[in-house]
Amino acid sequence: MGKYVWIVLFIAVGIYMLTGVYQVGPSEVALIKTFGKFSSVVQPGIHYHLPYPFQSHVIVDISTVRKVEIGFRSIQRGGRITYQSVSQEAIMITGDNNLVSVEAVVQYRVKDPVAYAFNITEADSIVRFTTESVLREKVAMRNIDDVLTIGRDEIGLETAKMVQKILDSYNCGIKVENVYLQEVVPPDPVVDAFDDVNNARQDKERLINEARKYANDIVPKAQGQAQEILRQAEAYAQEVYLKALGEAERFNRILKEYTKAPDITRKRMLLDALQSILEKNKDKVIFIGDADSLNVLNISELLKEMGK
Amino acid sequence: MKIWILSLLIILIVVGFVLALASFYIVDQTQQAVVLRFGKIVSVKTEPGIYIKQPFIDKVVRFDKRILLYDIEPEKIIASDKKTLVIDTYVLWRIKDPETFIKSLKSVQLALPRIDDVVYSHVRNIFAKSNFDEIISEKREELLKEVTELSREALKDFGIEVVDVRVKHADLPAENEQAVYNRMRAERYSIAAQIRAEGEKEARKIRAEADKTAKVLIAEAQSTAEQIKGTGEASAVKIYAEIFSKDKDFYEFWRTMEVYRSIEGGILLIGDELDSFKYLKSE
Repeated sequence: MGKYVWIVLFIAVGIYMLTGVYQVGPSEVALIKTFGKFSSVVQPGIHYHLPYPFQSHVIVDISTVRKVEIGFRSIQRGGRITYQSVSQEAIMITGDNNLVSVEAVVQYRVKDPVAYAFNITEADSIVRFTTESVLREKVAMRNIDDVLTIGRDEIGLETAKMVQKILDSYNCGIKVENVYLQEVVPPDPVVDAFDDVNNARQDKERLINEARKYANDIVPKAQGQAQEILRQAEAYAQEVYLKALGEAERFNRILKEYTKAPDITRKRMLLDALQSILEKNKDKVIFIGDADSLNVLNISELLKEMGK
Repeated sequence: MKIWILSLLIILIVVGFVLALASFYIVDQTQQAVVLRFGKIVSVKTEPGIYIKQPFIDKVVRFDKRILLYDIEPEKIIASDKKTLVIDTYVLWRIKDPETFIKSLKSVQLALPRIDDVVYSHVRNIFAKSNFDEIISEKREELLKEVTELSREALKDFGIEVVDVRVKHADLPAENEQAVYNRMRAERYSIAAQIRAEGEKEARKIRAEADKTAKVLIAEAQSTAEQIKGTGEASAVKIYAEIFSKDKDFYEFWRTMEVYRSIEGGILLIGDELDSFKYLKSE
């Protein structure tokens, strides 16, 4: 009977001693407290400390990057992540008194597990509130166009820096890795107006491009036309010159022959001319002789006679 | 007999264990403790470790030593320029002096409304002196510093240290938001109109420029063309003058003949002045 009592007692003490066994995961460290006072940091592995009330441990994950979402929440549902906007958090006032919807993610890590475990409570909320507060200040320092465009990266960087400074002042052992701005957009009620500005920019580009197209069309055509006018003028000048040259030469040659027998040549030329006229106007020649008589001649006959 | 001794031993162990538990208390790294004896403070321990107390008589009240977060409900305030804002503040605080704290506020539960009162009244006072834009932007940090200082001073007497007071949100009340949205819309539409007008302007400029370039190109070409034509004609005139002046009389005659030859159609009237037609007349 007594033997059994000892065995039971032994097992009870054994189980009690075994409560001191603990395991530290690969991304974690354990902080050992002896009579409640922090005494040492223990690296990953399986370890043993004296059971309650002598020693206890706190495990802190120091490698995992933690995340706080501002302005939205990601909801994991059956392997799929959906995002839900929290407009109350997301809507911020800008420096020019406009409202903008800003969604951000803060990533942080524990850099000092001792400070993290023993100096603060509600680390997530502290990081969230601090970031929200700083983010709003940074957004409020810029006008809406900057926030929507070039200011984005700067706001993220400045916020991260400022949040780190504030958290350090609390000595909470947190390292802010990044503040990423996610969706930075105009709030829903004004989206269409903002879209209209973008459309207007497109319209402007379109109008300019159309004008350029017109210019690109009309100017080369005018250049072509100008060339055409010049070439035509040159052609005309050449033509006139060459014609003159030719005519002059022709005259020169005729003159040379003419001077040999001026009278006869003159007469012959006159008759040639007459003949040509008469041939072309066979039935329509009115010969006006003496004022009192109007003779109509039969040119065909006349020509026959002239040909004799 | 043996069982009797064993039972006694077990009872003794249990009693000893309970007595030990009642005589010692552990203050955790995250805690601080006030030991009360019949409601009177006998000792305050702010350092972690194991301590001795009177069993069953002394009561240990523990407080957190860490920074605590208190999120104050958002409330409306009116800025100096009469604009209304909804300010959402939070306070980071810690129990600095547990003795004073327990004397004046008893518990965290009862302390929170007091913190709320103090911080909120300071937020209201300080922020109400500034205008909307200052609260919203750069100056906010300064205002908050002031609020933190004042709150810290006011709550010191309660054993509380205010670590930081910050504004999480400073928003427009819902009824003003709509007005802002309306204004934003109007602003954007006017910007859009301006951008379109600028596009129109640019486009017109480009078109006019192109039209001008085209017209000038043609005019220049025409002008040059006239000159070229003139040069050609001048050359021709010179050639004609030179050659025909050799025998003016014959030229006239020859030229006249050429004209005759070129006559086409119509009714030909031949008068008898024409010396050349004497042959016709004599018939």
